[in-house]
Amino acid sequence: MNVVLSIAKTTTGEAIRRRVLMVILLIGLVLLVVAPGMEALSARQSTTVLRSLTLGVIQLTSAVIAIVLTVYLIPNEIERRTIYTILSKPVQRWQFLVGKYLGAVAALALMVAMMTATMLIVFSVVGKLTLGSDMVDLAKVPLMFFVQMSLLAAVAVFFSTFVSPIVNFFLSGGVYLLGSVFSSLFEVLSNNKELPAMVQAGARLVHSIVPNFQMFNVQNSAINAGPVIQNEQLYYLGSFGYALVYVMILLIAGILVFDRREV
Amino acid sequence: MDLAIETRDLTKTYKAKKGKALNVVNQVNLQVEPGEIFGFLGPNGAGKTTTIKILLGIIYQTSGQARVLGKEPTDTDAHRLLSYLPEKPYYYEHMTGLEIMRFYASLFGIKDDAQCRSLLERVNLANDMNRPLSEYSKGMQQRVGLAQSLINDPKLLFLDEPTGGLDPIAHIEIRDLILQFRDEGKTVFISSHELSDVERICDRVAIINKGEVVQQGPLETLLVGGRIEVTANQCPDDLVEKLRGGERIVSAHLGRLIVDIPDSEEPNAIVDAIRAAGGTIVSVIPRRKRLEDLFLELVTQDDAAKGRQKRSMLEKSPPDQASIVEAEAAVEEGA
Repeated sequence: MNVVLSIAKTTTGEAIRRRVLMVILLIGLVLLVVAPGMEALSARQSTTVLRSLTLGVIQLTSAVIAIVLTVYLIPNEIERRTIYTILSKPVQRWQFLVGKYLGAVAALALMVAMMTATMLIVFSVVGKLTLGSDMVDLAKVPLMFFVQMSLLAAVAVFFSTFVSPIVNFFLSGGVYLLGSVFSSLFEVLSNNKELPAMVQAGARLVHSIVPNFQMFNVQNSAINAGPVIQNEQLYYLGSFGYALVYVMILLIAGILVFDRREV
Repeated sequence: MDLAIETRDLTKTYKAKKGKALNVVNQVNLQVEPGEIFGFLGPNGAGKTTTIKILLGIIYQTSGQARVLGKEPTDTDAHRLLSYLPEKPYYYEHMTGLEIMRFYASLFGIKDDAQCRSLLERVNLANDMNRPLSEYSKGMQQRVGLAQSLINDPKLLFLDEPTGGLDPIAHIEIRDLILQFRDEGKTVFISSHELSDVERICDRVAIINKGEVVQQGPLETLLVGGRIEVTANQCPDDLVEKLRGGERIVSAHLGRLIVDIPDSEEPNAIVDAIRAAGGTIVSVIPRRKRLEDLFLELVTQDDAAKGRQKRSMLEKSPPDQASIVEAEAAVEEGA
């Protein structure tokens, strides 16, 4: 386990110094700070607009960071030959892959935490947040984004064991879109009895294989006063469990590919 | 006692497109004794790094066998006893020399900070161990590389171009360190283009060309057969033709004559012939055979032989241009 943690720690240190990630994070942080000024452009209720905008910024920034961070995770190590000095030590390939993944997730956690803290501070300064349960409810949303992006990072790590970074960028981005934006569409298609059986089966296949990223989008309850998640604890636990199982499946599949890969 | 490295008919084949196979390493047989410095030489793309990667378990052979310290190359027990310094290595530049040592130590479960410090002192980085690697020169990075490769007190070291691109002082320092490793009983397997270094420090060498070992053995055996160079002035032009023959190389320009003969031939006959023709002897210099001479001779001969073989095959069944491009790309990839 020490080997995995050592690799993870080094990966986090390397990740938080990558300029491209810092630039993406900085853009996200600037947008969060200027967001209260942008709500004036909307005719809708200001709190709703501000929350919707800032949470959208955090989600989008986290998704881009998660993909950019992980698509280069393995290829960079091969290109720079660091992997040779590591794998020639008594390090198993699974330890290397899991260490890289955990390091990336830790870096992601730091960046999401920074954005969440910035959002809460901005909201407090402009008087759109009351300390206590409101703050906790709002903070739960980026926490779920973090779980969602950890799952997305596992998808990208899996692909990074056998495709190039550019292909991986589009593949992982595509899987994210299929599992979030188009998740409901595939669910509807798979249950529509009027469609041909082949189409239904295809939609059901996609819906069951692609991770359901939509289930981590809990921002509605924080943005609008109305919708409330029934049995919140169970929902969150179920979501964490779902993400954990998917992450494990993806990492095991990645290890199986990486174990035979010639680096 | 187990051999430090042993390969039998080790072959690595890459598939080019259209199902064509290309042997990047072809039936390589190596035997490296414990405690020796073994030089593994060859031109670019000869299969040196591919062989090392197989021996480290980073890639897998297509056929044949490889044993490292008596174990399979993928065995992590073997990895506890060996180390590898790749050519032009990169280390995480945000870390200091000491941090990078701690990182590599942790991969062996070593928590001894004093050991990390003493290894950095050994490679003359005592005053720079707390500086980030981004501030290190190329020579300093190479020395960190050597220090990290010693963290587990290895029995076997793989060094891929350890002195490549270093200034003369760093070059000598690294070379001396390698000699110290042998004194400590470690086995060193060096892949290098620096033939003068290899000649100075290696006990045995293997020369590989286009995936095949063309010669291997102790240097004192391989480098027998030097040359003698006889130089003379005021020689008549017709003397050149009289002296030519056998393994002699004769050249003349404006009365200056140079006769290069194998050291098995008696130079007195040449000297007498020059004097009889009215020439003046300037020098008679015996020249020991150098590793560079042997390397060029073997690689050139092997290239010529393989060229003839290829031409005869092409005459029988000429391939299309696309196949040639694919095969060349596969060689590049494999190298």
